[in-house]
Amino acid sequence: MHFVVFAEPSRGEHARDAPILMEPGCKRRKTVELNGASTWDVLPVLSERESQSVVLIPAFAAPILDKKEACRLVREVSAAYPLGDHPHLKRVRPCVSAESAHPLEMILCLASPRLEQDGSQSLAALFPDGQVDPRGLGEPFLTLVPAFPPLTRPQYEEASSHWPVSFHENKRISRALSGCLFTPSEKAAMQSHMELAVQAAREGARLNMEPVGAVVVDQASGRVLAAAHDCRKGFNPLLHAAMVCIDLVACSQGGGAYGYKDYPSCTFFQPDGDSGHSSSSGDGLPYICTGYDMYLTREPCVMCAMALVHSRIGRVFYGVPSAHGALGTNYHIHRCKDLNHRFEVFRGVLEDQCRSLAHISVPGESRKDSP
Amino acid sequence: MEAEKGRAVTAGEREAWMDLAVNMAKEALESGEVPVGCLMVYNNEIIGKGKNEVNETKNATRHAEMVAIDQVMDWCRQNEKEPKEVFANTVLYVTVEPCIMCAAALRMMSILWRIIHFLTDTGEPFQCIAGYRSEEAVEMLKTFYRQENPNAPKSKVRRKECSK
Repeated sequence: MHFVVFAEPSRGEHARDAPILMEPGCKRRKTVELNGASTWDVLPVLSERESQSVVLIPAFAAPILDKKEACRLVREVSAAYPLGDHPHLKRVRPCVSAESAHPLEMILCLASPRLEQDGSQSLAALFPDGQVDPRGLGEPFLTLVPAFPPLTRPQYEEASSHWPVSFHENKRISRALSGCLFTPSEKAAMQSHMELAVQAAREGARLNMEPVGAVVVDQASGRVLAAAHDCRKGFNPLLHAAMVCIDLVACSQGGGAYGYKDYPSCTFFQPDGDSGHSSSSGDGLPYICTGYDMYLTREPCVMCAMALVHSRIGRVFYGVPSAHGALGTNYHIHRCKDLNHRFEVFRGVLEDQCRSLAHISVPGESRKDSP
Repeated sequence: MEAEKGRAVTAGEREAWMDLAVNMAKEALESGEVPVGCLMVYNNEIIGKGKNEVNETKNATRHAEMVAIDQVMDWCRQNEKEPKEVFANTVLYVTVEPCIMCAAALRMMSILWRIIHFLTDTGEPFQCIAGYRSEEAVEMLKTFYRQENPNAPKSKVRRKECSK
């Protein structure tokens, strides 16, 4: 079996367009990977809540004219209008502009649509029962505050620009977003796995298949267990690359539903005999895709994404998003709380090469991004 | 509503298909699979029969509907029919509401006409008739989950529960 390794164009070096045919295990791969590592970034595909921009809701705030009253005002206003459902909101903020006459501003209450409509902004209207002694408070004003606690650093920064919020940072997400979750050697391994997927996609395209490739790797040992290309244009329109790869893993475990003799680039390898890797069930045998990573040249569709949930996949890495994608583009099936398995998804691995697959021309066909 | 293209479906015929789908589910249960069974009916003829085959194939995507779709594809090849036309006029009888994967697969195969399943309807954009013999279907599922999935990594599950 031959592996085709593509040299990534790197700064100050001539881009090589032609693939170089190499023997497996060739030492050259290492330098190729190191050169390539600077040309793509692996980014996390977070949940909808984690990736959305900050949602704002109206609130009434007022300046605190006398700093000495601040403590009492916070106590009394908090008793009248607790922010229990929005614990991330800080009650008081230092004044935004330096020229401001007053040092602090505080949230009085969230503005219900009714209050907003009435335009009832006077202190007397907001505290009709006299629960708050308004000494030291200025005229209330309407402002916008973040509706939800920030889940990521970018959300925190955006939210704080509207009103101060508390933030319990998830260090792993922050590192992932800044692109430093993985070491260079981990990225090099990712690249070689995605190169296999790209290669499989090209082999598939030669058989007039949709140019999509998939590879499954045992997370613990780093061993490639299956490689596949899309077969939907063959005998079964549901045989997308991910579905083929899942079935090839089943074949490697002595199961499987289909035969792939017409598709020599759809292959599987026996899993390690030795015990002790994370994918093992109690009796030392692998259990579907537990503990395995899947590399896909493009984001999977709803069917494939849910198939990966059913297969208990460990992590998914894909090259480029797709219009029908269900891991970040249209849905976030991997983070769905109602499903019984969740997994991490990363995109961007070998992005340019994965994107260029879409331009492979198949005779008599126009390439389009179907699910 | 009750008529497929061309021919009417009698209540008796439909009951008979329900029985067959339930029997497929029972077969699945007897062979240690999650008890789900389905039928695909085209022009009052059964052209696909599926039961859950996940444990047998070690492939978690081998749900009854996926197995039946394969059979319909074979049937189309043997009878030189256009799958698109066949699927568009096929009724699916299934003992449990299809999962997201199967619903997506069914949509890709253009089964838009009618799905009859035995459990609750969540408003999928298919014509759905839900709730037939649901107690029987639920009872089978309960039986399966009482005996535990023989293929699931048990020790790991227990470890997780302990560490909670």
